[in-house]
Amino acid sequence: MMPQTNNEALCALALEGLKDVIDPEIGLNVVDLGLIYELHCNDAEKTVACTMTLTTEFCPMGESMVGGVRESLQGTFPEYLIDVKLSFQPPWNYDRISESGREFLNM
Amino acid sequence: MPIPGSPILAKTTSSQVVMPFYLYAALSFLAATLLLFGSSGAFTGHYFQPSILAITHVMALGWATMITLGASHQLVPVLIEGKLFSEWLGRLCFILAALGIPLLVYGLHTFHLGWPTLSGGLLVVLAIVVFVVNIALSMWESQRWNIHALFVLTAVLWLLFTVCLGLLLAYNLTHPILGINSLHYLPIHAHTGIIGWFLLMVLGVGSRLIPLFLISKYSNQKLLWVVYWLINAGLIGYMQLFALQASMRMLVLAALPIAAGLGLFVWYCTKAYSERLRRRIDGPMRLSLAAVAMLAIPLLLLLATVLWLALAQGHHTSLVLGYGFSVFFGWLTAIIMGMTFKTLPFIVWNKAYHHRAGKGQTPNPKDLFSYPVFIAMGISYLLGFVLFGIGILGQFILLLQVGSALLIACSALYNFNVVKLITHKAPTA
Repeated sequence: MMPQTNNEALCALALEGLKDVIDPEIGLNVVDLGLIYELHCNDAEKTVACTMTLTTEFCPMGESMVGGVRESLQGTFPEYLIDVKLSFQPPWNYDRISESGREFLNM
Repeated sequence: MPIPGSPILAKTTSSQVVMPFYLYAALSFLAATLLLFGSSGAFTGHYFQPSILAITHVMALGWATMITLGASHQLVPVLIEGKLFSEWLGRLCFILAALGIPLLVYGLHTFHLGWPTLSGGLLVVLAIVVFVVNIALSMWESQRWNIHALFVLTAVLWLLFTVCLGLLLAYNLTHPILGINSLHYLPIHAHTGIIGWFLLMVLGVGSRLIPLFLISKYSNQKLLWVVYWLINAGLIGYMQLFALQASMRMLVLAALPIAAGLGLFVWYCTKAYSERLRRRIDGPMRLSLAAVAMLAIPLLLLLATVLWLALAQGHHTSLVLGYGFSVFFGWLTAIIMGMTFKTLPFIVWNKAYHHRAGKGQTPNPKDLFSYPVFIAMGISYLLGFVLFGIGILGQFILLLQVGSALLIACSALYNFNVVKLITHKAPTA
């Protein structure tokens, strides 16, 4: 399931970078895994706001994954203010995995 | 650092608390296989011998318990969806157990049942008290109960009972206070440890991790509750019947709910496997699933032992030895080896690459250990286990020697990969 976005061109750039952030257990990136819920890039205010989730609320890799998303966005937009929020509403489920993610997992 | 306006991220236990347990366990496994090779001839005799007692305690405490304690400090926060109450208590638990186990094993191996055995046993009891306090307070603070947490809490309470009884039995050997030989109570000590501690712990953690690692949608809390009550009812029933000095036929009754509970757990794993999203199953996961199937071996040997006792009115020592061997070197060792290479790579990855996530390519956790060495370890393990097992049942010295040599190779290869993981450092940018 693709995240909600506003500015398509900038968000596509951000999502491309986020595909380098991998869930180390599953081996799949956070975008195809469906962990990114919302992404709002504001070119005028130079801000990027991202709402993401984790596969389980107390994921031991959570800190790394959230840090990875923040670093990736900052790398794509060095001049922008990055805000990454974590949300478990709704909780993540397997139906959020994208088509290419399903192919990767041989689902 | 917490993210403003976001739920708080889980705080993982420091790898410095967890890794010493893994390393200690790995070295204990190597020591146990060396002792096994040096004492292989003892496996044609009675099971109550100093060398067999020593090997059993290296395997039960140094290997299986130490790695379970280490993994618990990391996994309990995941199971209870909270954080560990105290890392300091985790370190204290390690120090007490690490000092106590060699003293206890030395005492048993030399049959010096005075101060080495008793002080070693006392240190182990203190380590477990510290562990129980840490786990109970973690759960109390989390206030998020689930069936997995209940399995773990019950298992650690059985562990406390087992080590306290063990210390009492050791004391009774030199200062008779129970009015009956310690050997009489050995089955209670062994089965509260095997079923109450190891089995409940493996079921509690496995029922959460197996679907997680398989990426399976399957979940059945009600089934796990039934498994929980069946196993505990069977164990308590066994202790009651034992205390009442019931006949062997009656004792078999207690095994029925335990076998039923295990059957349901195997069903749970089968369902999780069939509903998995990840089609490719890696080596460590295959070994862990094989361990679940390997539970059938001690169950069959236990059944054969009980039948023999009922029909021939005497112990068949080879069957009893085979039963113990298939528990510690079979089922438990297989699941520990499998789960080591599912959990330790993530602990190491988190430590080494935590600050590099999102800044470029990082290795996959499974690439932090050598997979060919893992495969060689698995092959030498399976061959060694089968040959040594046949050697015990058929009393073939040559098979005992070859089997134990293969198990030494297995433990050396296991140590190689554990040390490779623990010493892994992220390359400097």
